[in-house]
Amino acid sequence: MPEYDVSTDEPVLRLDRVGLSYGPKSDVLADVSLSLRPGSMTFLTGPSGAGKSTLLRLAYLALRPTAGRVSLFGVETNRLRRRDLAPLRRRIGVVFQEFRLLDHLSAYDNVALPLRIMGRPEASYRQDVADLLGWVGLGDRLDARPATLSGGEKQRVAIARAVVGKPDLLIADEPTGNVDEEMGERLYRLFRELNRRLKTTVLIATHDMALVRRAKNDVLRLAEGMVVRVPLDPRDGQP
Amino acid sequence: MSRAAPLLPREDAREAALFFVVCALCFLAVFSGLVARAAYAAADAWTSEVAGEITIRVRGPEADTQRAVDIIVNTSGIASAHALTRAESEELLKPWLGTAGIPAGLQLPRLIAAEGAAGAGDAVATALRQANINATVDNHETWSADAKRATDTIGLIALSAVALLGATGIAVIAFATHATMLARRDIVELLHLSGAKDDFIAGLFERRFLMLGVQAGALGALLAFGAAAFILFAVRQTDEQAWLLPQLSLSLADGLILGLSPLIAGAAAMFAANMTVKRSLSDMV
Repeated sequence: MPEYDVSTDEPVLRLDRVGLSYGPKSDVLADVSLSLRPGSMTFLTGPSGAGKSTLLRLAYLALRPTAGRVSLFGVETNRLRRRDLAPLRRRIGVVFQEFRLLDHLSAYDNVALPLRIMGRPEASYRQDVADLLGWVGLGDRLDARPATLSGGEKQRVAIARAVVGKPDLLIADEPTGNVDEEMGERLYRLFRELNRRLKTTVLIATHDMALVRRAKNDVLRLAEGMVVRVPLDPRDGQP
Repeated sequence: MSRAAPLLPREDAREAALFFVVCALCFLAVFSGLVARAAYAAADAWTSEVAGEITIRVRGPEADTQRAVDIIVNTSGIASAHALTRAESEELLKPWLGTAGIPAGLQLPRLIAAEGAAGAGDAVATALRQANINATVDNHETWSADAKRATDTIGLIALSAVALLGATGIAVIAFATHATMLARRDIVELLHLSGAKDDFIAGLFERRFLMLGVQAGALGALLAFGAAAFILFAVRQTDEQAWLLPQLSLSLADGLILGLSPLIAGAAAMFAANMTVKRSLSDMV
Protein backbone atom coordinates (compact mmCIF):
# COMPACT_ATOMS: atom_id res chain seq x y z
CA MET A 1 0.00 0.00 0.00
CA PRO A 2 1.22 3.56 -0.56
CA GLU A 3 2.81 5.24 2.40
CA TYR A 4 1.07 8.27 3.86
CA ASP A 5 3.71 10.88 4.60
CA VAL A 6 2.94 14.08 6.49
CA SER A 7 6.54 15.19 6.46
CA THR A 8 9.12 16.66 4.27
CA ASP A 9 11.90 16.45 6.92
CA GLU A 10 13.52 13.40 8.54
CA PRO A 11 10.58 11.69 10.23
CA VAL A 12 10.50 11.43 14.01
CA LEU A 13 8.53 8.23 13.69
CA ARG A 14 8.38 6.07 10.62
CA LEU A 15 6.56 2.77 10.19
CA ASP A 16 7.42 0.99 6.99
CA ARG A 17 5.06 -1.84 5.96
CA VAL A 18 4.76 -2.88 9.59
CA GLY A 19 2.82 -5.95 10.58
CA LEU A 20 2.10 -7.61 13.87
CA SER A 21 0.58 -11.03 14.30
CA TYR A 22 0.35 -13.57 17.08
CA GLY A 23 0.32 -16.53 14.73
CA PRO A 24 -1.12 -17.54 11.37
CA LYS A 25 -4.39 -15.78 10.53
CA SER A 26 -4.20 -13.60 13.63
CA ASP A 27 -2.90 -10.36 12.22
CA VAL A 28 -3.38 -7.39 14.54
CA LEU A 29 -1.76 -5.04 12.07
CA ALA A 30 -0.74 -5.71 8.50
CA ASP A 31 1.32 -3.65 6.10
CA VAL A 32 0.98 -0.35 7.97
CA SER A 33 3.11 2.58 6.88
CA LEU A 34 3.22 6.12 8.19
CA SER A 35 5.68 8.80 9.15
CA LEU A 36 5.50 11.89 11.34
CA ARG A 37 7.50 15.02 10.63
CA PRO A 38 9.26 16.80 13.51
CA GLY A 39 7.02 19.27 15.32
CA SER A 40 3.82 17.86 13.84
CA MET A 41 0.67 17.13 15.78
CA THR A 42 -1.35 14.19 14.52
CA PHE A 43 -4.52 12.43 15.59
CA LEU A 44 -4.87 8.69 15.08
CA THR A 45 -8.50 7.65 14.83
CA GLY A 46 -10.33 4.46 14.05
CA PRO A 47 -12.95 2.12 15.41
CA SER A 48 -12.46 0.16 18.61
CA GLY A 49 -10.31 -2.89 18.02
CA ALA A 50 -8.73 -1.43 14.89
CA GLY A 51 -5.30 -1.65 16.52
CA LYS A 52 -4.68 1.98 17.51
CA SER A 53 -3.23 1.07 20.90
CA THR A 54 -1.14 -1.70 19.33
CA LEU A 55 0.22 0.75 16.79
CA LEU A 56 1.12 3.16 19.58
CA ARG A 57 2.78 0.33 21.53
CA LEU A 58 4.93 -0.37 18.49
CA ALA A 59 5.76 3.35 18.34
CA TYR A 60 6.83 3.63 21.97
CA LEU A 61 8.78 0.36 21.75
CA ALA A 62 6.62 -1.79 23.99
CA LEU A 63 6.29 -4.26 21.11
CA ARG A 64 8.44 -5.33 18.19
CA PRO A 65 6.75 -5.81 14.82
CA THR A 66 6.67 -9.24 13.24
CA ALA A 67 7.04 -7.65 9.82
CA GLY A 68 8.33 -4.36 8.44
CA ARG A 69 10.47 -1.67 10.05
CA VAL A 70 9.95 0.88 12.82
CA SER A 71 12.30 3.88 12.84
CA LEU A 72 12.52 6.49 15.60
CA PHE A 73 14.51 9.70 15.21
CA GLY A 74 16.12 8.22 12.13
CA VAL A 75 17.20 5.02 13.89
CA GLU A 76 15.85 1.71 12.65
CA THR A 77 14.85 0.00 15.87
CA ASN A 78 14.52 -3.53 14.49
CA ARG A 79 18.27 -3.81 14.31
CA LEU A 80 18.94 -2.53 17.80
CA ARG A 81 19.70 -4.75 20.76
CA ARG A 82 17.37 -4.61 23.77
CA ARG A 83 19.72 -2.48 25.84
CA ASP A 84 20.07 0.07 23.05
CA LEU A 85 16.35 0.81 23.07
CA ALA A 86 16.41 2.49 26.51
CA PRO A 87 18.01 5.76 25.27
CA LEU A 88 15.35 5.99 22.54
CA ARG A 89 12.57 5.42 25.07
CA ARG A 90 13.86 8.35 27.11
CA ARG A 91 13.14 10.62 24.15
CA ILE A 92 9.50 9.52 24.11
CA GLY A 93 6.82 10.65 26.53
CA VAL A 94 3.82 8.39 26.81
CA VAL A 95 0.38 9.16 28.22
CA PHE A 96 -1.08 5.71 28.78
CA GLN A 97 -4.77 5.11 28.37
CA GLU A 98 -5.05 3.77 31.92
CA PHE A 99 -2.67 6.47 33.32
CA ARG A 100 -0.26 3.96 34.92
CA LEU A 101 0.48 6.19 37.88
CA LEU A 102 2.30 4.53 40.76
CA ASP A 103 -0.14 4.36 43.65
CA HIS A 104 2.50 4.58 46.39
CA LEU A 105 4.01 7.78 44.99
CA SER A 106 2.70 11.32 45.28
CA ALA A 107 1.76 13.37 42.21
CA TYR A 108 5.15 15.08 42.54
CA ASP A 109 7.07 11.79 42.64
CA ASN A 110 5.05 10.34 39.76
CA VAL A 111 5.90 13.33 37.59
CA ALA A 112 9.56 13.26 38.64
CA LEU A 113 9.92 9.57 37.73
CA PRO A 114 11.42 10.01 34.21
CA LEU A 115 13.96 12.50 35.58
CA ARG A 116 15.04 10.09 38.30
CA ILE A 117 15.47 7.40 35.64
CA MET A 118 17.67 9.84 33.71
CA GLY A 119 19.80 10.14 36.84
CA ARG A 120 19.12 13.83 37.41
CA PRO A 121 19.72 15.02 40.99
CA GLU A 122 16.51 16.08 42.69
CA ALA A 123 17.73 19.59 43.38
CA SER A 124 18.00 20.18 39.63
CA TYR A 125 14.34 19.42 38.90
CA ARG A 126 12.45 20.06 42.13
CA GLN A 127 11.15 23.46 41.06
CA ASP A 128 10.54 22.37 37.45
CA VAL A 129 8.29 19.52 38.57
CA ALA A 130 6.36 21.79 40.93
CA ASP A 131 5.98 24.40 38.18
CA LEU A 132 4.82 21.78 35.69
CA LEU A 133 2.18 20.48 38.09
CA GLY A 134 1.10 24.08 38.58
CA TRP A 135 0.89 24.49 34.81
CA VAL A 136 -1.53 21.55 34.56
CA GLY A 137 -3.58 23.03 37.39
CA LEU A 138 -2.37 20.78 40.19
CA GLY A 139 -0.04 23.15 42.00
CA ASP A 140 -1.87 22.49 45.26
CA ARG A 141 -1.91 18.68 44.86
CA LEU A 142 1.81 17.92 44.81
CA ASP A 143 1.64 15.52 47.75
CA ALA A 144 -1.62 13.88 46.72
CA ARG A 145 -1.59 10.13 46.06
CA PRO A 146 -3.30 8.93 42.86
CA ALA A 147 -6.05 7.27 44.91
CA THR A 148 -7.18 10.70 46.10
CA LEU A 149 -7.19 12.28 42.62
CA SER A 150 -10.13 12.49 40.22
CA GLY A 151 -9.92 10.97 36.74
CA GLY A 152 -9.10 14.32 35.19
CA GLU A 153 -6.44 15.06 37.79
CA LYS A 154 -4.83 11.67 37.24
CA GLN A 155 -4.85 12.34 33.54
CA ARG A 156 -3.08 15.65 34.04
CA VAL A 157 -0.47 14.05 36.31
CA ALA A 158 0.10 11.42 33.61
CA ILE A 159 0.50 14.17 31.01
CA ALA A 160 2.91 16.10 33.22
CA ARG A 161 4.97 12.94 33.69
CA ALA A 162 5.02 12.37 29.94
CA VAL A 163 6.31 15.85 29.15
CA VAL A 164 8.58 16.57 32.15
CA GLY A 165 11.64 15.23 30.34
CA LYS A 166 10.89 17.46 27.32
CA PRO A 167 10.54 14.47 24.99
CA ASP A 168 11.02 14.73 21.25
CA LEU A 169 7.94 12.61 20.68
CA LEU A 170 4.78 12.58 22.81
CA ILE A 171 2.39 9.68 22.36
CA ALA A 172 -1.00 9.77 24.03
CA ASP A 173 -3.48 6.92 24.01
CA GLU A 174 -7.07 8.18 24.41
CA PRO A 175 -5.97 11.04 26.68
CA THR A 176 -9.48 12.48 26.80
CA GLY A 177 -11.27 9.16 27.15
CA ASN A 178 -11.87 9.48 30.89
CA VAL A 179 -12.75 13.15 31.13
CA ASP A 180 -15.68 15.35 30.19
CA GLU A 181 -15.71 17.55 27.10
CA GLU A 182 -14.51 20.65 28.90
CA MET A 183 -11.59 18.84 30.47
CA GLY A 184 -10.86 17.15 27.14
CA GLU A 185 -10.61 20.54 25.49
CA ARG A 186 -8.33 21.77 28.27
CA LEU A 187 -6.05 18.76 27.94
CA TYR A 188 -5.92 19.23 24.19
CA ARG A 189 -4.81 22.82 24.70
CA LEU A 190 -2.00 21.49 26.92
CA PHE A 191 -0.83 19.22 24.11
CA ARG A 192 -1.16 22.05 21.61
CA GLU A 193 0.91 24.38 23.80
CA LEU A 194 3.57 21.75 24.23
CA ASN A 195 3.65 21.17 20.52
CA ARG A 196 3.99 24.89 19.80
CA ARG A 197 6.28 25.90 22.66
CA LEU A 198 8.68 22.96 22.71
CA LYS A 199 8.19 21.78 19.10
CA THR A 200 7.37 18.35 20.48
CA THR A 201 6.00 15.95 17.89
CA VAL A 202 2.64 14.74 19.18
CA LEU A 203 0.67 11.63 18.22
CA ILE A 204 -2.73 11.26 19.89
CA ALA A 205 -4.98 8.23 19.51
CA THR A 206 -8.58 9.20 20.16
CA HIS A 207 -12.21 8.33 19.67
CA ASP A 208 -13.21 11.94 20.27
CA MET A 209 -14.18 12.98 16.74
CA ALA A 210 -15.62 16.28 17.94
CA LEU A 211 -12.20 17.20 19.30
CA VAL A 212 -10.52 16.03 16.10
CA ARG A 213 -12.83 18.20 14.00
CA ARG A 214 -12.22 21.26 16.16
CA ALA A 215 -8.47 20.79 16.31
CA LYS A 216 -7.77 20.80 12.59
CA ASN A 217 -4.55 18.83 12.91
CA ASP A 218 -3.30 16.03 10.71
CA VAL A 219 -5.56 13.01 11.03
CA LEU A 220 -4.75 9.39 10.31
CA ARG A 221 -7.42 6.73 10.31
CA LEU A 222 -6.60 3.14 11.14
CA ALA A 223 -9.11 0.58 9.91
CA GLU A 224 -8.76 -3.05 8.93
CA GLY A 225 -5.04 -2.92 9.53
CA MET A 226 -4.45 0.00 7.18
CA VAL A 227 -3.65 3.66 7.81
CA VAL A 228 -5.23 6.24 5.53
CA ARG A 229 -5.02 10.00 5.55
CA VAL A 230 -8.22 11.80 6.37
CA PRO A 231 -8.58 15.03 4.42
CA LEU A 232 -9.03 18.15 6.53
CA ASP A 233 -9.97 20.49 3.80
CA PRO A 234 -13.76 20.99 3.94
CA ARG A 235 -13.92 20.54 0.19
CA ASP A 236 -12.46 17.03 0.72
CA GLY A 237 -14.96 16.25 3.44
CA GLN A 238 -14.72 16.38 7.22
CA PRO A 239 -13.00 13.59 9.16
CA MET B 1 6.01 17.83 49.90
CA SER B 2 7.49 14.34 49.62
CA ARG B 3 11.01 14.11 48.27
CA ALA B 4 12.56 11.18 46.37
CA ALA B 5 10.25 8.51 47.73
CA PRO B 6 11.37 4.89 47.20
CA LEU B 7 10.36 3.67 43.74
CA LEU B 8 9.31 0.33 45.18
CA PRO B 9 6.45 0.32 47.68
CA ARG B 10 7.20 -0.52 51.27
CA GLU B 11 7.39 -4.20 52.10
CA ASP B 12 4.19 -6.18 52.07
CA ALA B 13 3.04 -9.48 53.59
CA ARG B 14 5.02 -11.50 51.06
CA GLU B 15 8.27 -9.90 52.16
CA ALA B 16 7.41 -10.36 55.83
CA ALA B 17 6.94 -14.07 55.15
CA LEU B 18 10.23 -14.15 53.25
CA PHE B 19 11.95 -12.41 56.17
CA PHE B 20 10.73 -15.16 58.47
CA VAL B 21 11.87 -17.92 56.09
CA VAL B 22 15.35 -16.43 55.58
CA CYS B 23 15.65 -15.89 59.32
CA ALA B 24 14.69 -19.52 60.01
CA LEU B 25 17.06 -20.85 57.35
CA CYS B 26 19.88 -18.73 58.72
CA PHE B 27 19.09 -19.90 62.23
CA LEU B 28 19.36 -23.55 61.16
CA ALA B 29 22.52 -22.97 59.12
CA VAL B 30 24.30 -21.05 61.88
CA PHE B 31 23.12 -23.50 64.52
CA SER B 32 24.50 -26.41 62.47
CA GLY B 33 27.74 -24.53 61.91
CA LEU B 34 28.19 -23.64 65.57
CA VAL B 35 27.42 -27.15 66.78
CA ALA B 36 29.78 -28.66 64.24
CA ARG B 37 32.47 -26.16 65.28
CA ALA B 38 31.90 -26.99 68.94
CA ALA B 39 32.09 -30.70 68.17
CA TYR B 40 35.39 -30.20 66.38
CA ALA B 41 36.71 -28.16 69.30
CA ALA B 42 35.63 -30.87 71.74
CA ALA B 43 37.29 -33.60 69.67
CA ASP B 44 40.47 -31.52 69.58
CA ALA B 45 40.34 -31.11 73.34
CA TRP B 46 39.78 -34.83 73.86
CA THR B 47 42.61 -35.89 71.59
CA SER B 48 45.05 -33.30 72.92
CA GLU B 49 44.11 -34.43 76.44
CA VAL B 50 45.30 -37.95 75.71
CA ALA B 51 48.07 -37.06 73.28
CA GLY B 52 51.37 -38.41 74.63
CA GLU B 53 49.66 -40.45 77.32
CA ILE B 54 50.28 -44.19 77.31
CA THR B 55 48.38 -46.67 79.45
CA ILE B 56 49.95 -50.07 80.07
CA ARG B 57 48.00 -52.95 81.53
CA VAL B 58 50.20 -55.62 83.09
CA ARG B 59 48.67 -59.09 82.79
CA GLY B 60 51.51 -61.13 84.31
CA PRO B 61 52.37 -61.62 87.98
CA GLU B 62 52.18 -58.74 90.52
CA ALA B 63 55.97 -58.40 90.60
CA ASP B 64 56.00 -57.63 86.88
CA THR B 65 54.31 -54.27 87.55
CA GLN B 66 57.28 -52.57 89.23
CA ARG B 67 59.67 -54.27 86.79
CA ALA B 68 57.61 -52.86 83.94
CA VAL B 69 57.67 -49.36 85.45
CA ASP B 70 61.47 -49.51 85.65
CA ILE B 71 61.75 -50.60 82.03
CA ILE B 72 59.29 -48.01 80.82
CA VAL B 73 60.97 -45.11 82.64
CA ASN B 74 64.24 -46.02 80.94
CA THR B 75 62.69 -46.37 77.48
CA SER B 76 63.65 -43.70 74.98
CA GLY B 77 61.03 -40.95 74.60
CA ILE B 78 59.35 -41.57 77.95
CA ALA B 79 59.25 -38.65 80.38
CA SER B 80 57.59 -40.33 83.35
CA ALA B 81 55.77 -43.48 84.39
CA HIS B 82 54.10 -44.72 87.52
CA ALA B 83 51.90 -47.61 88.57
CA LEU B 84 48.35 -46.54 89.45
CA THR B 85 47.39 -47.08 93.07
CA ARG B 86 44.15 -48.90 93.88
CA ALA B 87 42.57 -45.55 94.74
CA GLU B 88 43.54 -44.13 91.35
CA SER B 89 42.16 -47.20 89.58
CA GLU B 90 38.89 -46.95 91.52
CA GLU B 91 38.61 -43.28 90.48
CA LEU B 92 38.93 -44.31 86.85
CA LEU B 93 36.17 -46.91 87.26
CA LYS B 94 33.72 -44.55 88.95
CA PRO B 95 31.88 -43.59 85.76
CA TRP B 96 31.04 -47.23 85.16
CA LEU B 97 30.72 -48.64 88.70
CA GLY B 98 29.42 -45.56 90.50
CA THR B 99 30.48 -44.00 93.78
CA ALA B 100 29.05 -46.69 96.06
CA GLY B 101 32.47 -48.16 96.43
CA ILE B 102 34.25 -51.10 94.91
CA PRO B 103 34.42 -54.27 97.03
CA ALA B 104 37.86 -54.60 98.63
CA GLY B 105 38.28 -58.11 97.36
CA LEU B 106 37.62 -57.24 93.76
CA GLN B 107 40.78 -57.52 91.76
CA LEU B 108 41.44 -54.45 89.61
CA PRO B 109 43.55 -54.31 86.48
CA ARG B 110 47.14 -53.34 87.19
CA LEU B 111 47.74 -50.18 85.21
CA ILE B 112 50.78 -48.03 84.55
CA ALA B 113 50.36 -44.43 83.34
CA ALA B 114 53.23 -43.06 81.29
CA GLU B 115 53.83 -39.80 79.46
CA GLY B 116 56.12 -39.40 76.52
CA ALA B 117 56.67 -38.32 72.98
CA ALA B 118 54.44 -39.39 70.14
CA GLY B 119 55.38 -42.88 68.99
CA ALA B 120 56.96 -43.82 72.32
CA GLY B 121 54.19 -46.41 72.80
CA ASP B 122 55.77 -48.67 70.18
CA ALA B 123 59.17 -48.50 71.93
CA VAL B 124 57.51 -49.35 75.27
CA ALA B 125 55.70 -52.35 73.76
CA THR B 126 58.97 -53.63 72.23
CA ALA B 127 60.91 -53.17 75.48
CA LEU B 128 58.25 -55.01 77.52
CA ARG B 129 58.09 -57.82 75.00
CA GLN B 130 61.89 -58.21 75.08
CA ALA B 131 61.76 -58.30 78.91
CA ASN B 132 59.16 -61.07 78.63
CA ILE B 133 56.47 -59.10 80.45
CA ASN B 134 52.87 -59.90 79.48
CA ALA B 135 51.31 -56.48 79.01
CA THR B 136 49.17 -54.50 76.59
CA VAL B 137 50.15 -50.99 75.59
CA ASP B 138 47.47 -48.44 74.63
CA ASN B 139 48.60 -45.06 73.32
CA HIS B 140 44.96 -44.09 72.65
CA GLU B 141 45.54 -43.78 68.91
CA THR B 142 42.57 -45.98 68.14
CA TRP B 143 40.34 -43.91 70.43
CA SER B 144 41.65 -40.65 68.95
CA ALA B 145 41.11 -41.94 65.42
CA ASP B 146 37.55 -42.96 66.31
CA ALA B 147 36.87 -39.56 67.85
CA LYS B 148 38.28 -37.81 64.78
CA ARG B 149 36.20 -40.01 62.48
CA ALA B 150 33.09 -39.20 64.50
CA THR B 151 33.69 -35.44 64.45
CA ASP B 152 34.58 -35.56 60.75
CA THR B 153 31.23 -37.24 60.12
CA ILE B 154 29.43 -34.63 62.23
CA GLY B 155 31.25 -31.90 60.33
CA LEU B 156 30.31 -33.42 56.98
CA ILE B 157 26.66 -33.67 58.03
CA ALA B 158 26.70 -30.08 59.27
CA LEU B 159 28.39 -28.89 56.09
CA SER B 160 25.79 -30.75 53.98
CA ALA B 161 23.02 -29.20 56.07
CA VAL B 162 24.49 -25.72 55.62
CA ALA B 163 24.85 -26.26 51.85
CA LEU B 164 21.31 -27.61 51.59
CA LEU B 165 19.94 -24.74 53.67
CA GLY B 166 21.87 -22.25 51.56
CA ALA B 167 20.54 -23.71 48.32
CA THR B 168 17.02 -23.78 49.78
CA GLY B 169 17.43 -20.17 50.87
CA ILE B 170 18.45 -19.06 47.39
CA ALA B 171 15.56 -20.97 45.83
CA VAL B 172 13.07 -19.51 48.31
CA ILE B 173 14.40 -16.00 47.80
CA ALA B 174 14.27 -16.42 44.01
CA PHE B 175 10.69 -17.64 44.27
CA ALA B 176 9.72 -14.78 46.58
CA THR B 177 11.48 -12.23 44.37
CA HIS B 178 9.65 -13.59 41.37
CA ALA B 179 6.35 -13.32 43.24
CA THR B 180 7.21 -9.76 44.25
CA MET B 181 8.17 -9.00 40.67
CA LEU B 182 4.84 -10.30 39.42
CA ALA B 183 3.06 -8.17 41.99
CA ARG B 184 5.16 -5.18 40.95
CA ARG B 185 5.09 -5.87 37.24
CA ASP B 186 3.23 -2.61 36.64
CA ILE B 187 6.10 -0.69 38.20
CA VAL B 188 8.76 -2.70 36.40
CA GLU B 189 7.02 -2.25 33.05
CA LEU B 190 6.50 1.47 33.59
CA LEU B 191 10.16 1.96 34.51
CA HIS B 192 11.19 -0.12 31.52
CA LEU B 193 9.00 1.85 29.11
CA SER B 194 10.24 5.11 30.60
CA GLY B 195 13.76 4.24 29.52
CA ALA B 196 15.17 2.71 32.70
CA LYS B 197 18.01 0.31 32.02
CA ASP B 198 17.81 -3.26 33.30
CA ASP B 199 20.55 -2.57 35.85
CA PHE B 200 18.60 0.38 37.25
CA ILE B 201 15.46 -1.72 37.74
CA ALA B 202 17.37 -4.76 39.03
CA GLY B 203 19.22 -2.45 41.44
CA LEU B 204 15.96 -1.43 43.11
CA PHE B 205 15.14 -5.05 43.88
CA GLU B 206 18.74 -5.92 44.73
CA ARG B 207 18.93 -3.23 47.40
CA ARG B 208 15.55 -4.21 48.81
CA PHE B 209 16.45 -7.90 49.05
CA LEU B 210 20.04 -7.29 50.21
CA MET B 211 18.70 -5.43 53.23
CA LEU B 212 16.07 -8.07 53.83
CA GLY B 213 18.67 -10.87 53.65
CA VAL B 214 21.16 -9.11 55.91
CA GLN B 215 18.57 -8.20 58.56
CA ALA B 216 16.88 -11.62 58.53
CA GLY B 217 20.27 -13.35 58.48
CA ALA B 218 21.57 -11.30 61.41
CA LEU B 219 18.49 -12.05 63.48
CA GLY B 220 18.67 -15.77 62.61
CA ALA B 221 22.39 -15.90 63.46
CA LEU B 222 21.90 -14.21 66.83
CA LEU B 223 19.01 -16.50 67.71
CA ALA B 224 21.09 -19.54 66.70
CA PHE B 225 23.99 -18.42 68.88
CA GLY B 226 21.64 -17.83 71.78
CA ALA B 227 19.98 -21.21 71.31
CA ALA B 228 23.29 -23.09 71.01
CA ALA B 229 24.72 -21.32 74.06
CA PHE B 230 21.58 -22.01 76.09
CA ILE B 231 21.39 -25.70 75.17
CA LEU B 232 25.06 -26.37 75.88
CA PHE B 233 24.90 -24.36 79.11
CA ALA B 234 21.79 -26.23 80.25
CA VAL B 235 23.33 -29.64 79.50
CA ARG B 236 26.52 -28.71 81.30
CA GLN B 237 24.49 -27.89 84.40
CA THR B 238 23.07 -31.41 84.55
CA ASP B 239 26.02 -33.58 83.60
CA GLU B 240 29.01 -34.42 85.73
CA GLN B 241 31.10 -35.30 82.72
CA ALA B 242 30.61 -31.79 81.34
CA TRP B 243 34.21 -31.68 80.16
CA LEU B 244 33.22 -34.21 77.52
CA LEU B 245 30.62 -31.83 76.04
CA PRO B 246 31.34 -29.47 73.18
CA GLN B 247 32.41 -26.02 74.31
CA LEU B 248 30.87 -22.91 72.77
CA SER B 249 33.21 -19.98 72.67
CA LEU B 250 33.41 -16.83 70.61
CA SER B 251 36.52 -17.89 68.77
CA LEU B 252 37.51 -16.40 65.44
CA ALA B 253 35.81 -19.27 63.60
CA ASP B 254 32.58 -18.84 65.57
CA GLY B 255 32.77 -15.11 64.94
CA LEU B 256 33.19 -15.76 61.23
CA ILE B 257 30.16 -18.05 61.18
CA LEU B 258 28.10 -15.42 62.99
CA GLY B 259 29.42 -12.47 61.03
CA LEU B 260 29.43 -14.01 57.57
CA SER B 261 26.00 -15.63 57.71
CA PRO B 262 24.00 -12.39 57.38
CA LEU B 263 26.33 -11.23 54.62
CA ILE B 264 25.96 -14.52 52.77
CA ALA B 265 22.17 -14.38 53.22
CA GLY B 266 22.15 -10.82 51.92
CA ALA B 267 24.40 -11.64 48.99
CA ALA B 268 22.26 -14.69 48.13
CA ALA B 269 19.13 -12.57 48.28
CA MET B 270 20.71 -9.88 46.12
CA PHE B 271 21.97 -12.43 43.58
CA ALA B 272 18.58 -14.17 43.41
CA ALA B 273 16.84 -10.81 42.98
CA ASN B 274 19.21 -9.78 40.19
CA MET B 275 18.77 -13.06 38.30
CA THR B 276 15.01 -13.09 38.69
CA VAL B 277 14.46 -9.47 37.72
CA LYS B 278 16.74 -9.66 34.70
CA ARG B 279 15.12 -12.87 33.52
CA SER B 280 11.70 -11.23 33.81
CA LEU B 281 12.93 -8.12 32.00
CA SER B 282 14.35 -10.21 29.19
CA ASP B 283 10.77 -11.20 28.37
CA MET B 284 10.04 -7.55 27.61
CA VAL B 285 11.07 -5.83 24.39
